[in-house]
Amino acid sequence: MGHATAGVTVQGRGSDIDFALIGHQESWRSAADVLAVLRGAERTRLPDDEIREIFPWIPPRAVCNVEVASATGAKARGLYIDCFIPPDHLDSEYVHDNIGRVRAAAACAIKAGARIVSLGGFSSILIEGNLSMLPGTADTIFTTGNTLTVAFIVQGIKKMCALERRDIAWSTLLIVGATGDVGSGCARCLAPFVKRVVLCARNAKRLQTLAAELEADGTEVEIATSLEQFPIAADIVICAASLASPVLRLGRIAPEAIVCDAGYPKNLNPGGDMRGARVFSGGLGQISSGLSFMPDFKGILNRHPFPDVAHGCLLEGMTLALARRFEPFSQGRGFITRERVEEIETIAALHGIHLAPLYNAEGPLDGMGASI
Amino acid sequence: MESLASLACSEQVVCNSPLPTASIWQDVLAQAVTGELMAAMNYSALSTICDDPEEVADALEHAQGEQGHAGAFAAEGRKIGVIVPSNVNARYWKRIREAFMRSIAERDFIACLIVQEIMLESFAVASYTRVGRAAPGSLGETFAAIAADEEGHIEHAMEILRSERAKGPQRFDDKVYRLHLDVMTTLTEMVAKECRHGQCDLCHSSCVKPSLSEVGLSTAELRGASLQQYLKSLDALGLPGEVTLQWVTQLPV
Repeated sequence: MGHATAGVTVQGRGSDIDFALIGHQESWRSAADVLAVLRGAERTRLPDDEIREIFPWIPPRAVCNVEVASATGAKARGLYIDCFIPPDHLDSEYVHDNIGRVRAAAACAIKAGARIVSLGGFSSILIEGNLSMLPGTADTIFTTGNTLTVAFIVQGIKKMCALERRDIAWSTLLIVGATGDVGSGCARCLAPFVKRVVLCARNAKRLQTLAAELEADGTEVEIATSLEQFPIAADIVICAASLASPVLRLGRIAPEAIVCDAGYPKNLNPGGDMRGARVFSGGLGQISSGLSFMPDFKGILNRHPFPDVAHGCLLEGMTLALARRFEPFSQGRGFITRERVEEIETIAALHGIHLAPLYNAEGPLDGMGASI
Repeated sequence: MESLASLACSEQVVCNSPLPTASIWQDVLAQAVTGELMAAMNYSALSTICDDPEEVADALEHAQGEQGHAGAFAAEGRKIGVIVPSNVNARYWKRIREAFMRSIAERDFIACLIVQEIMLESFAVASYTRVGRAAPGSLGETFAAIAADEEGHIEHAMEILRSERAKGPQRFDDKVYRLHLDVMTTLTEMVAKECRHGQCDLCHSSCVKPSLSEVGLSTAELRGASLQQYLKSLDALGLPGEVTLQWVTQLPV
């Protein structure tokens, strides 16, 4: 599988790299864990103050090799490339530096010969659907991965409604971050199934455009530019806002509302008062036929209580690589449609990539998945 | 120009300057002068193992250039009222010099280039650039100009090294790793937050590191920028980024 290079084993490079996953760490704890793996178990962990000093200086680069197996028996090989954005530098004041890091990470993917690249977390938010900002090449295709994220959010909402014995048809759905790529995709997919949709985002014009689109299909829609404004207590909530840290306060929601936190970093503080709400982490899928990292970052790069779980945006790149469909499936800018969501979830399912078991900060919610 | 021998092991002197931060700059300059003198000695030694007369001439020219840099730094010291000491036998510099001389003894021209042009120059370019931004007046200008000069002459070595790696990446990378363990361990100890093993033999009284913040510098910034430059140099040579990242994260802190 590889050859030893100077004390470190690396896999072959070049045309055998099918995909690259571009990401970043959402907390200093996860950043520390990544550095601990790189240092090796035989060395002491770096002190927190050292990590905060070293981390911002690391240029974007591949951190490990990734191999994913399909239910069909196919395999795809790739790289995880970290932008090394310091977890406390996700705010708008660092946007230019962070865009530079994403571009440098994209250049690493191109140099490695990756055929398709998924943009995880803020790396797609920073690019804002403008993939032309990335270094150009005909041989490497970029996808935001958001279509599969939407698919898993929608599946998660439906599963949670079934688990909680809620009739989705009588529900009021609130989407926070509704005009974003993921938020608007969720609105289009779920609007036909719910009684009413409440869209919340900062940009009033985009809200009106999306509301008009949904209303044209017969959906009852309310819009609000702040969470304090919406008049109706929602009983299903999707949090898909681009927030640098978990600071969202939902305010008025129905008791025992179903709340999907689809943010990376999370939108909601796990310790926040949610008044009996059924919160779950959304947009996650699970690979049934095997996911491996070299060096072994299992449980470090994918910090979930179940094995082989990853965010939909990253899984989209792996899915397309397994399907040998090297195309910019998700390009951002709010063009995710129900048809495209159904298409990517069908491809993912064919390769054994399904909705991950539902969980939240307190643990598993459906008793289905085996914990690590 | 001052002779190499006269600068290589000067006496330490007391700071007597009207500039309040002069004693800090004196210690910063002492490291820079010593580094430049060692580079001049390294290039002189390198010239003795070159087969190609052009490479001999290049190495001697570089030696002269580095000696000129040392002289320029010493002159900047005099401008702010301090005489800058130097000591190529100081704790860390001596270990680096010994590592370089092992490659000379093995007549390993490529290893010498890796140590001098990739490892030492990465640290020089990154730290001089930072000091250039923080230091006042002509002192800052001199650091910035020498950083640019050092960066300029790396490219020729990079071409040689890239060509060498193309002949056998595995062998080349193994060599870089061996030298990395030898040299980079010492360099990162040198720019660690504190000198855990005692004085570096260059600071004129107590260790200058805690005082760097008074002139807008920090060991964290100097170390971070230097290691970043080193990683970028290795990237430019074509070494796999995930491998070199592990090398760097495994260095002592």
